Amino acid sequence: MLAPAVTLIGVFVLLPMLLTVWLSFQDWSTQTPFSDAGFIGLGNFREIFGPTSVGRDFKTALLNTAIYTTLSVILILPLSVVFGLLVYQREVAGGTTLRTVLFSTYMVPMIAVALVWSKLYSPSEGPLNQLLGLVGIGPQPWLSSPRSALVSIVFLNVWQQVGYFTVLAIAGLTQIPGSLYEAATLDGANRREQFRFITLPLLRRTLLFSAVIAIINAVQVFEPVALITQGGPVGSTNVLTYHIRRVGIERAQGGLGSAMAVMLMLSLIVCVSALFAFVNRKDSSE
Amino acid sequence: MSLAWISKLALAAGLIVLPATGWAQSVNISYLTHWSPETVALLEAAAKDFAKANPDVAITVRAVPFGDLLTTLRSQGGSSDGPTIGGIYDLWLPELARDKLVAPAPEPVAAEVKSAWPAGVVSAASVGGTLYGIPNEIDVYALNYNKELFKEAGIAAPPKTWAEFKEAAAKLTNKDKGQQGFGMINSWAAGVVHPFASLLVSNGGNLVKDGKPALDSPQAGETFALYEDLIKSGASNPAMATADANTTGPFLDNFVSGKTGMIIMANWWESALKSGMGDKFANVATAPIPVGPSGDKPHSISYSWMTVVNAKAGEAEQKAAWEFLAWLNSPKSGKNGASAMSDILMSMGILPSRNSDIEAHKDKLGSEFLSGYVSVLADARPFPVVPGGQEFSESLQQTLEALQYGQVSAKDAQANAQADATSILERAAK
Repeated sequence: MLAPAVTLIGVFVLLPMLLTVWLSFQDWSTQTPFSDAGFIGLGNFREIFGPTSVGRDFKTALLNTAIYTTLSVILILPLSVVFGLLVYQREVAGGTTLRTVLFSTYMVPMIAVALVWSKLYSPSEGPLNQLLGLVGIGPQPWLSSPRSALVSIVFLNVWQQVGYFTVLAIAGLTQIPGSLYEAATLDGANRREQFRFITLPLLRRTLLFSAVIAIINAVQVFEPVALITQGGPVGSTNVLTYHIRRVGIERAQGGLGSAMAVMLMLSLIVCVSALFAFVNRKDSSE
Repeated sequence: MSLAWISKLALAAGLIVLPATGWAQSVNISYLTHWSPETVALLEAAAKDFAKANPDVAITVRAVPFGDLLTTLRSQGGSSDGPTIGGIYDLWLPELARDKLVAPAPEPVAAEVKSAWPAGVVSAASVGGTLYGIPNEIDVYALNYNKELFKEAGIAAPPKTWAEFKEAAAKLTNKDKGQQGFGMINSWAAGVVHPFASLLVSNGGNLVKDGKPALDSPQAGETFALYEDLIKSGASNPAMATADANTTGPFLDNFVSGKTGMIIMANWWESALKSGMGDKFANVATAPIPVGPSGDKPHSISYSWMTVVNAKAGEAEQKAAWEFLAWLNSPKSGKNGASAMSDILMSMGILPSRNSDIEAHKDKLGSEFLSGYVSVLADARPFPVVPGGQEFSESLQQTLEALQYGQVSAKDAQANAQADATSILERAAK
């Protein structure tokens, strides 16, 4: 019987989404009842893509989110496969310990991560700059420069999430039959060829799943920005979730905030659909 | 006696006792603040004192970082279970009052505030002539400088004009030592905008005049150009200017560790300086804001904080909250004729605003650090409290940060700031 499940999904998933879409066409303050909302058509969307500070800040936040997501996925996925391959080797001593250590970063609460990393990144007293100084590299501004602040937050994200994605990669590796590698070895394939023609193609589904999860996680980034940079400097770390909170809650501009949330949702749907279409196309062409 | 009779008697007894228990039931009120744990402990102690005479009122104190205070008030203040009392920045009041999140002060409280506080502070706690909060602190900006660094650079006295200010900033800059002459702030709206606004009013300009942005004035143009000069000359380094959610971070670290010669900051950071510098706090001195070429004398920006009551809280909770606040801010609650609130504020180096509190704390307000702030209070200009003020502040912050990092010229920054402010204030006024 599907009715209870459909009802639950309708109430807890679809209704809030539809409400957000409806609010995006309204002039509405979050401090007033829904009944006070007034229909303004595409007014909120025109505003967030317009030339005023509202539009400029939204477009910057959208771009920052896209850069953050792209860099996170580009770094996390290959690293998770590399770590997965290293840890999956049964003959490697301490493999289980390494797996546990890698996964442990994922369990550390973000507040603790933020506290530690904001000090690690400190331009004057930070250990990272001190380490760079030992190898003759001058101090880096990290979070203090609009050119490096977003990338610094990406590094923090990669550090925290890579363990989780390594576990996913290991799960994918366990699904690959060992006989394939044995046959390839007999045929004279070296390690690199085995990786290219066996491991990577057979990990494709796992990597697709990992990519989707990594994109969703990255798009929802909020805590490190709220805790460390407050969106600065010069809005360089102002990502969409943080910006929507500022507009929708701090300024109580619920209609504008909803329009931004709808755009975020649409961007996510387009990205994930494009990813699935790309992988499916590749599957059917093979 | 049968079971049925026992039940009936028990029910009757319960109905008789019910109103009495209702009377005896305590009223729970909560107080939301952004203060540090040490200061929260002082507030809790004051709440305990109040509870001695009011055993039916239970007060809990909850603290969040400054960066989360407005969000918490907005997201939780709309319900009866939200914080009963909130400490707020005056810039937020017009919109919180418009959205009916804060309750107007009862007549006796309003009358007391109007008679015991300076008129300017009362006006910052009012919207359309209605008083919404009991003012407590007043903050004002001044130039803080490191006497030791001044001595090393051969500077005899703090700068009085912008020309002297630029000269001192250049002398204090030593790139080999990682030392900057003047420290700006970024990633924190008030920290970016208030020092700029203090320099602007000391140059004869205004942020907002007659409800309209006035950033297109020649005086504002000169202030944007001053920032550009300081950045281009290397006397101010934006990489040393970052603040975090707790309004601390590298900008503070650099000043306390003697890597920043001068900064324009408010009196409340006395406690942060003391805890960061220890004995070296004695090196810090205060001076009026340097006067610009179009200014007449040093001015400063001031702003105030107040405590407000949740308009959605129950009647009993609101009544208890106003009673507690009236007591907390009255000369009866503190030491030597001061209010308990002013004792708490003075522990952080914050100036109280009630007339009797200023008198009661006269000795401490005469300290080397605070006297510099008290002396500029008379000529301070209140930060404009207008609908859309917070968004205006955040927008100007973005423009000033872009100028700090060389992304825009002073001329473009001025044009952008005026255009953004005009659209924000017009939209908010609708």
